[in-house]
Formats: sequence, structure tokens, C-alpha cells
Amino acid sequence: MKSQGISRRNFIKTVGITTALAATGTVPPLLYASERRLVTFPEKTELLLLTSRPPQLETPLKYFRELITPNEALFVRWHLADIPTSVDLATWRLVIHGNVEQQISLSMDDLKKFEKVVYTAVIQCAGNGRSFFNPPVFGGQWLNGAMGNVTWGGVRLKDILNKAGLKTGSMEVVFKGLDKAVLPATPNFLKSLPLDKALEDDIIVAYEMNGRELPMLNGFPVRLVVPGWYATYWVKSLSDIEVGVKPTDSFWVKTAYRIPDNPCGCVEPGTAPKKTVPINRMTTRSLLINPEDGSQLKSGQPVELMGVAFSGGYSIKEVLVSVDGGMNWRPARLGKDIGRYSWIQWFYPWQPAKPGNYHVMVRATNSIGESQPLDALWNPSGYLLNNIEKHNLIVT
Amino acid sequence: MKTTILLCIGASLVYTTMALAADKGFVMDGTKRTITLPAPSVSLINGPGRDITSSYCNICHSLDYITTQQKFPEARWHAVVTKMVKTYGAPITEMNVDIITHYIATYYGTGK
Repeated sequence: MKSQGISRRNFIKTVGITTALAATGTVPPLLYASERRLVTFPEKTELLLLTSRPPQLETPLKYFRELITPNEALFVRWHLADIPTSVDLATWRLVIHGNVEQQISLSMDDLKKFEKVVYTAVIQCAGNGRSFFNPPVFGGQWLNGAMGNVTWGGVRLKDILNKAGLKTGSMEVVFKGLDKAVLPATPNFLKSLPLDKALEDDIIVAYEMNGRELPMLNGFPVRLVVPGWYATYWVKSLSDIEVGVKPTDSFWVKTAYRIPDNPCGCVEPGTAPKKTVPINRMTTRSLLINPEDGSQLKSGQPVELMGVAFSGGYSIKEVLVSVDGGMNWRPARLGKDIGRYSWIQWFYPWQPAKPGNYHVMVRATNSIGESQPLDALWNPSGYLLNNIEKHNLIVT
Repeated sequence: MKTTILLCIGASLVYTTMALAADKGFVMDGTKRTITLPAPSVSLINGPGRDITSSYCNICHSLDYITTQQKFPEARWHAVVTKMVKTYGAPITEMNVDIITHYIATYYGTGK
């Protein structure tokens, strides 16, 4: 149980350690709402369990000490319980149809004949960090582990669409995967992009994660990659692309995954927005990864604080660090820049002189001046979280 | 010669066992990949309405969808359960919506 004086993250860490041994073939029962247990799913390492059917699994923060997130550690998030658990590439096809010159049906070999594109991009769930919303909101209560930085390999969506041939009047492109709802009455998951967005050079149909096939739970055999935008658009186990002449009226586009239609995507806490738009680009974020929140350090001993920073498709220009609760800010050293969609690592050498509690804060700014608010902005669905986090480090 | 063969078989057996352990729930058969998901084993706190809540909610999702939520009042839970019916087509009667809502708010919400 959560006791006073233990930070949420520390508590989770403790629970994780004590339950790690219990993680076997079945998912252990949850006793308390705030617990997260480590579980092992096929092709995945031990991840924090949010829900088991459909699977929603979160990456422990320690994996973000590396520039690239390993395939087996990447978070998992499905919407509907009938997820694909078996795919035979001998019969699997990606079908492109709708308002096109000719419907085409591509095998994996056909796909691999298109020019290959490889880049590294952050994938992040729209609701990453939702559990930190105040007042709280319904939805998956993610900590900060519904994200990762992966090198994607695949083919341009544009090349595939051009192969089918777009007819005049095309307005948007609709993407469906192999996952299905349990009940016929439940709207099946699909997402759409406006045609001009869908034709951008960097949007790919990815068949590789970090040079290997995608794990089944991350969308084998292919998933859409929309770098810079939230992962809701990165349709997993993609099997059907339809070019439409009018906007889709699917629940998943018209009602779900929408944000307030204003520059901050926010409203007064507890209120409803008057008008909404589909969620799109990611906000700018920076996170302290090591040492973890609540860690104990020795006074006089040097330590290097490190973390990651990223934004929705624009390079990170600057990361500032404060070790005194926001009074003084100094620039962190940035790691290697491997592209505008990747996260960048930041490092900050520090030698705490005196014992005490230190409040460490980190703030990133991207190349077009987008940064992070001091206080979290609020919206009813729990999206876009990117406030400057306050971490507590205890120096003895 | 005989010893070498036996050693090889022995080594490959060890290797096979290790590979199976590492790829638990994953099978590759030619061009076909198959995974087996672990069975959910979440159980709800015993109380009036638990069985109705378990059986209806379990149709579409595991019960940790309830247990991992933060504490919300009954009116908020009522809106969520109603959404399950109106948006997702869950076959739950109005009477059972009330029973489920009351149960969840009592044991996993703020109680009112």
C-alpha cells in the first residue's frame, strides 16, 4: 500500500522488485489501484502491467538511459481485445483500395521492393503521463513509460499510394490493422490522415524496428510510422489502406483522440472544451532518467544527471537544468543529434556540496521555440502532458 | 567420434531449452509467427454487484481496466459505464449499469 513519505515512483520501484519473481505465465492479480507489477509477455522483457486484455504494458524508466529503446522493452498499447496473435507472411497482404486507379495487394516481398527508408523517431502514446493529471482523468493511467526511441525501417507511404494511383477528389487516407473488437457493435479501431499529411516524405510503413522484425505486440508485420505525431496514428499490424473522398465518421477519429481547439490544447481544469480537433504533433518534453526520482546521493561526490528531451519533429536546441527548485538554470550538455524525430540525451555534471533535499528540474526548448510549462496544462482526455517535472534527490 | 556426437546433441539440447525459455509464448513455424498471451487473472473485491460487474466488463476487457483507475465518484463512473453501452455496444441493461456503477464506485471509487 502507498504510505506517506514514499514518492509514487519510488513505491512503484519497490513493488516492481518484490513482484518481479512472481511474473510467470499468468498475470498476477492486482490488489491495489496504484500498483504496477512487472510481467513478461511474448517477445517482450519484463514490463510494467497496466492492463492484460488487451495488453497495455509500460517500459520501466531504466531503459531510457540508452539512446535507443530495445524492441523487447518498447511499451505496448492495444485498444480492442481481439488482437492478432498469429500472422503467416505467406498469406498476409497489405491492401490499398478506395479512390485509386487500381486496387493493389502487396506481400512483404512486394513491399521490400520499394526504396527503403531508415530513421530514428520517438514513439509516444497520446496519454503518456496521464496518471499525473490533476484533477485526475479517466483513461489508461500511464506513468512516463508509454514512449521509446526506435530506429524504424520501411517504405514511404507516398510511394505505395502512388503505385495504386490517387484519383482526383481524394481527401484522406484511412488505416486499419488486424485487430478487431470483441462485439460486432463496437467500432473497430482505425485512424485517418488528411491527404496532404499522408503524402509527406517521412511517413513510412515500417517492417523493421532497430533492424529486426517488429514484435507481434508492437504491430508485426508492419505498422504506420508518423514521426513527430502521437502514436495513435501509428496503426499496428496494418493491413488495409483506403483512400477516401470524404472525412471518415469513425468514432476513433470523430470522437476519440481529440484535443481542445486552441494553441495550448488545454482548458480550465475540470471543464469541457467548446471545440476540439484531432490530436496531432507531440509537445516538447524533457525527462530526468538517472538518478531516478527519490534517489539518495552522497554530499561532495560528483554525479552526472542524465535524461532525454524530444519534441514533435523539431530538434532540441537547449536543455536547462535547475538543482535548486527552479531558482537558477544552467545548460546541460547535449548528446549526439541523430535527427529531428529522435530524442536527444542530455547530461549535467553535479556535485552537491551539502546534505539536504534537492529539487531537480529540467526544461527543453526546440528549434522553433516550443518549450514546457511550469505547471501542467489540463484537458479532459489526459493528452499532451509536458510540464517541467520536479524531482526530489536526497543528499546525505 | 561417438563422444563428440553425444556432446553435440547434449549442447544442442541445452541450447534448445534456453531458446524456448527466452521466447516464452512465441512460435515461429516457417513463415508463420504465433504468440500465446498470458491469461489475465485479476479478481475484484468481494461485495454486492461483483459478479455482475465481472461478467459484463470481462466480455470486452480484463478487470484491471477498473482496478488501475484513479478514485472517481459514482456519477463519473456512471458516465463511463454508459459509454460502454452507448459507444461500444456493451449489452448491459439500465438496471445492471446502475449495479455495476454502484459496485465500482463503492470498492474502487470515492464511494459516492
